[in-house]
Amino acid sequence: MNQFTASIVSNEQLCQSMFEIQLLAAQPVVSGLPGQFLTVRISPSVVPLLRRPFAISRLNAEKDGFSFIYQIRGAGTELLSTFGHDSEVDIIGPLGTPFPLPAQGQHSMLVAGGIGLGPVLFLADTLQQSGYDHSFVFGCRSAAFLPGALFTDRSVAVCTDDGSSGFAGNVVEYLDSIAGELPADTRIYCCGPEPMLKGCHWFAMAHGLSCYVSVEQIMACGVGACMGCAVRLADGVSYARACREGPVFDSKELAWD
Amino acid sequence: MGLIDMTVRLGALVLPNPVGVASGTFGYGGEYESLLDLSRLGALYTKAITLTPRSGNDIPRIVETPAGILNSIGLANVGVERFISEKAPMLARYGCPVIANVAGSTEEEYAGVVDRLESCTVLAGYEINVSCPNVKHGGLAFGTDPQQIERLTATLRKLTVKPLIIKLTPNVTDITVIARAAEAGGADALSCINTCVGMVIDTKRRKPVFAMKTGGLSGPAIRPIGVALTYRVCRAVTIPVIGMGGIMNGDDALQYLLAGASAVQVGTGTFVDPRLPNRVVDEIEQYCTSGRYSSVGELRHLFT
Repeated sequence: MNQFTASIVSNEQLCQSMFEIQLLAAQPVVSGLPGQFLTVRISPSVVPLLRRPFAISRLNAEKDGFSFIYQIRGAGTELLSTFGHDSEVDIIGPLGTPFPLPAQGQHSMLVAGGIGLGPVLFLADTLQQSGYDHSFVFGCRSAAFLPGALFTDRSVAVCTDDGSSGFAGNVVEYLDSIAGELPADTRIYCCGPEPMLKGCHWFAMAHGLSCYVSVEQIMACGVGACMGCAVRLADGVSYARACREGPVFDSKELAWD
Repeated sequence: MGLIDMTVRLGALVLPNPVGVASGTFGYGGEYESLLDLSRLGALYTKAITLTPRSGNDIPRIVETPAGILNSIGLANVGVERFISEKAPMLARYGCPVIANVAGSTEEEYAGVVDRLESCTVLAGYEINVSCPNVKHGGLAFGTDPQQIERLTATLRKLTVKPLIIKLTPNVTDITVIARAAEAGGADALSCINTCVGMVIDTKRRKPVFAMKTGGLSGPAIRPIGVALTYRVCRAVTIPVIGMGGIMNGDDALQYLLAGASAVQVGTGTFVDPRLPNRVVDEIEQYCTSGRYSSVGELRHLFT
């Protein structure tokens, strides 16, 4: 983990409610792995105050160019969307526990929902480069929420809630529809809204598959010091830190009400 | 640079400089090790340590507010035994004084923690948290009652010769009454202030964001409160006062020092920029240099 400055190469809206920011650091500083995240200082003033966490969505071979995707949710991301080319941003990372890679020959089913696409894209690239067999499904509300530019050179099954593109239904319904085609040792990797993660977990349990989820939680420090980003564990009483033990967890470790 | 005497005296304890990192914002130190120079910290105040481990409050635990954050962590910590076996061995290599923050629900619990920690030679002193607003029995009953605080301080005083710092809550009618009671009980210094009680309500769900309803507000939003209460406490007691609340740069820290504090703690500001504690020391030193003060201790006598 390091604190460093990176300059913005591009900061563009890809589709409704999704932006991609591409950054370049002065030297190779990002030794990130899929599932890890960075925190960004958004404002030089005190409003908004806290750094914002974003999962790495892409890392180049030189390890100095990287990206993340985001959605405007509040004052912080609103401000971030105004940052122009060449603006410098203060970054800390890489942080958190990455996705564990599958075994050689094991099939991976990558599942992303909405803005949860970021870490799944990075995992897909990593699996692709290392020759791991995998398939990829992305779900969103409608065709207007499809970030086509991110899917041009990869094969992604698309699900839309309103059926305006691809499979009509959510990603869990999609998984149900292809359950018979998945190899018996398939590992599911997913990131997205909490109900989707829960659906993927129960799908995996029902079919005897392993499942890793990347969770989202409000963070204050992002480095494991403040205990603010707790997630409840399967025993129902203890907690783990999303920023340190997570954000990636074996879904069996977590409490799914 | 380097010619200014930056040392600070808290009872028998001499800190290398006035800028410490506040309890609850810095874990046990290791979390920030790669992001700043720990050896340049005036003091590291640990995450609160309780007699038994605490898993902490329900989630969410953090909500951002204008220029601040409201937290409801609930003293989540590993407990005194795991602190001694797992955390304490790491502290010596940081090269800065480490002060254990101690919390409890009863006098016996506070005494039990201090008694167990006496075996940790690495600890330079104790900061007694009688002011956590986020748990039902987090010591706030002690922190708001002058008789209880004097008795608790006197009890702990008998257990240790190490510096005993009482951390005061701002959530009282008159903080100087509590400050004097801690001094009368034998405290070596006072930390001023813990978080201010606050509440954020989710209007869509029509209920407070936190399960505990209220939380503790920190950050620049509370700095003027911290400075004012530090000013008042400094004039009510003769023991040193450590000022804190919303320090985001050297100038903010200087306000506390000019108000009468002997030292400061940086808390929420470290979340925003982990290098801040190191930078604040540099900026205080620059202020002393340009003002031709030979020691940082002079600053607290300048303001009348």
